[in-house]
Amino acid sequence: MTGAARLVLDGVAKRYGRAVVLDDVSLEVESGEIVVVCGPSGGGKTVLLRLIAGTEQPDQGDIRIDGKSMLGLGAEQRDVGMAFQNFALYPHLTAYQNIASPLEARGLATAEIKQRVDKVAALLRIGHVLGHTPRELSNGQKQRTSLARALVRGPGTLLLDDPLRNVDAKLRYEMRLELPRLLASFGSAVIYVTQDYREAMALGRRIAVLRQGRFEQVGAPETVYGEPANLEIARLFGDPTINLYPCRPDGEAVELLGERVPLAPGMAQLAGREVMLGIRAEDIEVATEPMPGSVAAELDAVTPLNVRAVLYLRSRDGKELLATVPEDDALRFGRGHRPVWAKLAPDRFLAFDPATGARL
Amino acid sequence: MAGLALDQLSKIYRSRGKQPVLAVDRVDLAAGEGEIVGLLGSSGCGKTSTLRMIAGFEDVSSGTIRVGDKAIQALPPKDRGVAMAFEGYALYPPLTIRDNIGFALLRERRSREEVARRVGEIAGLLEIGDILDRYPPTISAGQQQRTSLARALVRRAAISLLDEPMSQLEPQLRAILRARIKDYLIEHRMTTVFVTHDQTEAIALADRIAVMEQGVLQQYAPPAELKEQPANLFVASFIGEPPMNIVDARLAPGTEGGGLIATSPDGLTAFKVPLAPALTARLGRPDIGYKLGIRPHRALVGDPLGLPATVVSNQWLGDQAHLALDLGGCFLVVVAHRRIDASIGGTVPVRLPPGAMHLFDAASGRALLHGLEAQEAAAA
Repeated sequence: MTGAARLVLDGVAKRYGRAVVLDDVSLEVESGEIVVVCGPSGGGKTVLLRLIAGTEQPDQGDIRIDGKSMLGLGAEQRDVGMAFQNFALYPHLTAYQNIASPLEARGLATAEIKQRVDKVAALLRIGHVLGHTPRELSNGQKQRTSLARALVRGPGTLLLDDPLRNVDAKLRYEMRLELPRLLASFGSAVIYVTQDYREAMALGRRIAVLRQGRFEQVGAPETVYGEPANLEIARLFGDPTINLYPCRPDGEAVELLGERVPLAPGMAQLAGREVMLGIRAEDIEVATEPMPGSVAAELDAVTPLNVRAVLYLRSRDGKELLATVPEDDALRFGRGHRPVWAKLAPDRFLAFDPATGARL
Repeated sequence: MAGLALDQLSKIYRSRGKQPVLAVDRVDLAAGEGEIVGLLGSSGCGKTSTLRMIAGFEDVSSGTIRVGDKAIQALPPKDRGVAMAFEGYALYPPLTIRDNIGFALLRERRSREEVARRVGEIAGLLEIGDILDRYPPTISAGQQQRTSLARALVRRAAISLLDEPMSQLEPQLRAILRARIKDYLIEHRMTTVFVTHDQTEAIALADRIAVMEQGVLQQYAPPAELKEQPANLFVASFIGEPPMNIVDARLAPGTEGGGLIATSPDGLTAFKVPLAPALTARLGRPDIGYKLGIRPHRALVGDPLGLPATVVSNQWLGDQAHLALDLGGCFLVVVAHRRIDASIGGTVPVRLPPGAMHLFDAASGRALLHGLEAQEAAAA
């Protein structure tokens, strides 16, 4: 299976009436690379996929695959495969016939088709259900069949529209962990769309954050999480949502949560201006005894969150603070409603401009 | 406030020309005063029928429901001392959000000041304080759901019943609202039963969770106990995210030194778990199939005492690492609270502490042992 394609979006814009859905969107995807497009619903993700697939045409800009402009070409003339969250399988065909359909449309020989379908089915571990119709398949098997159909002809560009949304937790984690290796073996340039920031971080070599029709940040997962371009991206990436406090630092410290908290040297430039200070939940250490440089608080609830637990704290000045600890460490806090001390990590604070949201 | 007790509660749906459906099958369940109980299961498991029987919107086929020491199953809904938040919200369209929330308090003839204070408090807690003068059709689904929740919580009824109370919550509000709601329920010692299909939500809120499947209560226990001592394979694989790793296993014959042999999906030996001879003997015959379970965060990746495994995937999610490992043909998901330095295709040691392993009977799914080490010591 070949198809060393490279996808280029160059200043793409799309309007419906007066509503600008996509505005000057540019991105390059290498073959073998997964770029995850992540953002809230209504941000333009689905329209972007339609433009690349060729079911809609952009108002401005160019879309190139392997250096060739796709403008004016229909979906059937583009080397693009697609899989959807709702599977979109043909209900009257078997899994085998579904997977084989793009090859049959191209008039391949029966033996060649069988060889290709068997190979992709083996990779996706659905070889034993190829004779079943979609009605007889589990959601996980449907999703794998849908993926197999998208992959079977080795498309240069592969579009995956939230494909793990409707599968159970076990399969979702298995697929999250297996997909990068599987997709790499096909060498396609992959655009993967999701609203789930953890899925984006797990799968993307790069993440493109699409909000209000624009890529507000394109970067490696660690960069988007650790150095978000703006406040909204910081809020989208992180569960619990990042803690935010408006404040005005002086040279070396800031009045925060009823205490004077020393700042890291790098924040000295913020002295005297209004900032929105962001503190990630996992950067807060919580103890049942005072620690040097810690903030006194009341622990009001403990809500476990998968392998971690969220601690809900209220400071002396009535502000809320969410901290997380490994779940096993949370047992010592019981049901909460007790005094605790929270140690913040000033060198990990994020500061944003309260007016524009830009990170400072 | 009072406790709630269900005793052998059953629900059979009968319709003409069809087989009767046993939706709830002799469920026993008790919630202490001020306790938060989650009914958890997938659709059709009987959790919503159970909630609706407590509320009085469904007849009880058999069994009893008591609040305090009073049987209530024959009383009309309004006399049961329960407040319910419906999954479909059921807001009054001609009333403002403020009046929707305060409706029951006004009907109880509470003073205007008290109603205003309590409505303001719960609305602030649920982040709907700025839409109190609007009407239900003009607000988002998420806001409607929070209004419905506010209307139930503001009453501080003897029993609060919440049907999928947070399914529509905006992701950025989820953690903080779960925390505030739990704090509110504890603060006011509210006996609460909520229904959810989302195990993460159940674990976040509940003191105890009733896991249901096909009308049958599978296990009723605190979240930590469901994780550490699941009663069967169903509970073990339903609770926890990422889910528990579960692999096939069999007993090694005495001639091979006993212990357990974990096998890959291809039936090959993946790894061995040594057991004390007394435990091997107690478990039974080598021809019985077992399932061996270990939770992703209990497998210790990078531990020098571990077995060599191939790295399939290594993903850092900001506050935790998720890895997929191939250990002798078994696919293992491992979670760590720090970054793991391991490149894909390389080898990394992973230790599976026997104390963190769960053993199930493969045929019945029943749990046999939790923590093989502890059993080993006890058997010696």
